[in-house]
Amino acid sequence: MFKVFEKHLFLLGCVCVLANPILFAQNNLKLKYKKSEVYAGIEVGSKGVKMSLVEVSKDAQKAQDFNVVKDTSVNTDFISFTQPTFQATMDGLTGLYNTALNDYKITPEKIFTVISSGVKIQAEKFEKNNWIKNFIDSFKIRIKEPARQVEVIDVLQEARLSHLGIVPSSRRYNTFLIDIGSGNTKGGYFPGTTTSDFKLFQLSWGTKSTANATEKRLEDDKTMSNFNKQLYRVLAGSANDEIIYSINLSGAYNMSDNIAFSGGIAWSIATLINPELIDNPVVPVTYEEVEKFYERIYRNYSSLAPEEIVKTLSDQTLNKIAIAKEIKTVNKVFDQQSLMAGTGLLLKIMRQFEGIYEKKQFYLVKNGQVGWVSAYVDQSISNQSAAK
Amino acid sequence: MRDSKSSLLLLVSLVLFLLSFAILCTWGYNVYYKAKEDKDKTVALIKDSTTILRASKAIADATRDSLQKIYTATIRQLDAKLDSTWNYADSLKEPLNSKLNEFFKLRTEITELLKDKNNSADLGLARQKVFELQRKVDDLVGKNKDVEQENKRLYEMLNQLSASIKEPSPMNVKPVVFEGKTETTPAPVTNLFTASDMHLSAFTQTDNDKEIETSQAIQTDKLVGSFVVKNLHSQDNNAEVIIVVLQPDGHVLQKSSWESGTFSTADGKKIYSCKMRFDYNKGESKKINFSLSSDRYMKGNYIMQVYHNGMLIGKLSKTLS
Repeated sequence: MFKVFEKHLFLLGCVCVLANPILFAQNNLKLKYKKSEVYAGIEVGSKGVKMSLVEVSKDAQKAQDFNVVKDTSVNTDFISFTQPTFQATMDGLTGLYNTALNDYKITPEKIFTVISSGVKIQAEKFEKNNWIKNFIDSFKIRIKEPARQVEVIDVLQEARLSHLGIVPSSRRYNTFLIDIGSGNTKGGYFPGTTTSDFKLFQLSWGTKSTANATEKRLEDDKTMSNFNKQLYRVLAGSANDEIIYSINLSGAYNMSDNIAFSGGIAWSIATLINPELIDNPVVPVTYEEVEKFYERIYRNYSSLAPEEIVKTLSDQTLNKIAIAKEIKTVNKVFDQQSLMAGTGLLLKIMRQFEGIYEKKQFYLVKNGQVGWVSAYVDQSISNQSAAK
Repeated sequence: MRDSKSSLLLLVSLVLFLLSFAILCTWGYNVYYKAKEDKDKTVALIKDSTTILRASKAIADATRDSLQKIYTATIRQLDAKLDSTWNYADSLKEPLNSKLNEFFKLRTEITELLKDKNNSADLGLARQKVFELQRKVDDLVGKNKDVEQENKRLYEMLNQLSASIKEPSPMNVKPVVFEGKTETTPAPVTNLFTASDMHLSAFTQTDNDKEIETSQAIQTDKLVGSFVVKNLHSQDNNAEVIIVVLQPDGHVLQKSSWESGTFSTADGKKIYSCKMRFDYNKGESKKINFSLSSDRYMKGNYIMQVYHNGMLIGKLSKTLS
């Protein structure tokens, strides 16, 4: 009798010890809502694998509220379609999947894995669709989950999901969302009153492509003054024609009150213009503010150093260390020229919405990259609930 | 051999239990103290061990405590009226200032007397001064009523004057109306709105979706505010006012990332809670309503500020316990 008791005691002790790390893992995440559940969305993109841990509010009053708890990425280069990059991407995806499963104790049905539209476009371009299929099959074998769904998202679906994930439902049908990427710009809006109808908008210009086109025109004069002059010419030339044509074609001017911009350049401008709003995922701006900011990058770039910006903050409640750190990250990602190119492109697009009689409200979205994954998670949860 | 094995097993079990218990305690400790961070700092009570040594000292302390209570009550009574007294003072500001200076001087003297615990002889003097302080507070309260009446009379007079003038000059700026603990900065000679009839209330939502007003921070689901704006010189049909609600910790309570932002004032850039845009006809009294929701509300004083063109045009405070 006593031996049975001893065995039970021993097992109970083991269970207690094993249970503790679970409690700790769940408490490690900084949750925002009183009632919520944490989901993981893992995306294989052109440049790497990205994992977003999304806290979804279970509050009936805040049906579609979510909070990005953690955002982690592994840099790989899947779209070069070579064996080493295939392997590196596979390791990245499996690693992040296991992190969600083991470190954050998120159950498999709450982990969503997807392949982004960027990968799909490149695979179609270079006829490498079988690489995506092989990649998905290998991943399922690796994690021993043959029934796992790994969806390949197309550009329309990604833009639509980004809109659903970023723009709150109260502004859904009057907001035009534009994602300025490095190589292109895409976005769209819901022209009607349903989320099934989405009007896609695309431009072949992005931050990097604008900077590259400007650099090509520099010749021997590498000064900032010449960069500024050549950037004006790039944006006034073929970029301008395409921007005007695409925006007119989209019909967004008449249909939208709010114009929201996402992408790396939107994050960097929002951080540098309004460092006070470091914790806000969205920052409202005006055309004049961005115009002044462009002048500041060109004429007084040193004023955008972390210490210079922090010096100007008078509010004592602000976390100046966190602000300085974020500005430092912005300065690492965008140098003066790419910041000018991105801001110039943004101004060119904003200009199309600056009417004499009607002015639109502009927003800069900082965490746009997790928007579509969050919406995908939200949509999958809804589908799961409907299936039950 | 079996005995030693079972003893070892028992020992390992106990060690595992103790380890588990220790980890759980650490976790519990962290959770408990994290939750406590949101609560107000508790007041530390320092017991003086020497009071039990001498009976006479205890009596003196009891007297001191009762005097301290009277003093605290008097100060509280005054504090409740002090804000409005400061704000409503205009033409009566000079005599009021001298009264207030007398009061502050007396208050410092009493504090000094009550601080010195070894000197029982000064207690009589302290008692006398506390009574004098009470009398001065009554005097100030009476004066405050006079100021309020005077303010009301002047406001009515200005209203009549404003109505009689068909084309008001830019100098003819209407004063802000105060309600309750509302404060204001005087409207400068510009095309500014004035804010009046300001309210800020906390509401809790019941299970059957009814909203009930509350004064408890823990029960609060949202803050609802309202105020009336008026501008006799407005040239535009569209107007915009900015609302800032400061939480007890000094941070701005934001409506949402889409509705909050920054704006410029004479004191530099500030974060706002929400911006209200509205259609406006010159001279119209327009009521503006807004609400702010947050997952958690702290105990303490919430300050609502209304700005127009970067200028503070109204201020109100609301306490949640």
